[in-house]
Amino acid sequence: MTEEELALIHAEIDGELDGRQRGELARQLLADPGTRAVRDQLHRLCERLDTLEQAEPPSDLPTRILAALPPATATPKRYRKALPRWRYAALFAGLLGAGALVFETVRGPGPATSEMTGTMAAGAPVTLDTVSLGDGPIAGRVSLYRDGAALAVALEVTADSPVDVLVATGGHTSRINGLTNESGAAARIIALPGTGLKGQAVELTFLMSGRRVGSARLTVP
Amino acid sequence: MNEEDDPTLVRRCQEGDRHAFDQLVLRYQKPVFNVALRMLRDRQGALDVAQSTFLKVFEHLADYDPAFRFYSWMYRIAINESLNALGARKPLEGIGGDEADDGPSPERQAEDEQTRRAIEDALMHIKPELRTVIILRHFMHLSYEDMAGVLQLPEKTVKSRLYSARQLLREHLLRRGVDLT
Repeated sequence: MTEEELALIHAEIDGELDGRQRGELARQLLADPGTRAVRDQLHRLCERLDTLEQAEPPSDLPTRILAALPPATATPKRYRKALPRWRYAALFAGLLGAGALVFETVRGPGPATSEMTGTMAAGAPVTLDTVSLGDGPIAGRVSLYRDGAALAVALEVTADSPVDVLVATGGHTSRINGLTNESGAAARIIALPGTGLKGQAVELTFLMSGRRVGSARLTVP
Repeated sequence: MNEEDDPTLVRRCQEGDRHAFDQLVLRYQKPVFNVALRMLRDRQGALDVAQSTFLKVFEHLADYDPAFRFYSWMYRIAINESLNALGARKPLEGIGGDEADDGPSPERQAEDEQTRRAIEDALMHIKPELRTVIILRHFMHLSYEDMAGVLQLPEKTVKSRLYSARQLLREHLLRRGVDLT
């Protein structure tokens, strides 16, 4: 078999033959059983290659990737404008004792921001879970709240160095940069996507200079 | 859910929005992981490559030329990282464990599983630059144009490599007794 004949077979596999080339290949296939056999084998091989399934990466791969990134110097201002923070402030101000509140949302499938705003505004929030962070480089506590159909995490933390946090829940991971301010204290509400099914976990990973310094797991009871 | 396109997310990243990068990670972690896995056939190595790929993407976003497709640029980084990982391996390490020829008898395995393993074995027996074109074409389903963009090669060269790679895979599989009829 010539190189030209082989090239025609590969081009046929890739759907790149024009009418004249198709005719040429058809004549060769009729004339030579060997060419026909090679063509069939290559077609079969490519069908098998095309249908090999992709492997699923581990579910924490996004978290690992994001944890390896260098820390941000500041949270972009444009992101902080994403939510009407006054609505959350009115709702949660009574729950948090001290500190200025800054509100973020973990993006992902779930109710639109406008829907969340509406549901969050109705009724009193309920504490679902609270975890103390201990006496390590980062201290304080984190709490999981439900208000209506919406979930939120409240972080009240102190640290000696700037802290970023990764929030993973429901298959989505997001990174909140510059969690603590220059004084090392932070009180922040993070609205979560989804409505919070029973047993749903929210994994928080705290980072300093890109290194993991603490974690917490909150669970919807 | 509103899905922002790659150029929008990249622009937001370049403006310092880390959340836009989160979305790129979520969007491309699986294909990048799979590119690395097919190149290395080593799950832990593929995880390391996926991580280093996104780190490089993050560090070099300012250098990214939007005239090219973002995923082409990213796959190029993933492939280069995979090639670097392969280069750091000891000889023969690429074909290890259950991929070796003295594995369980093919007759005792289901045909599909047998063929899949044989194809994965065969992939590890061809040169990395040929493996790369198979991965881009048959696993990532890129066009010749996109492959040329990823590899920064003329389309003619890409086709030539792809044809050679398929031929070598076919010959290897036939030598192994795999039925391709």
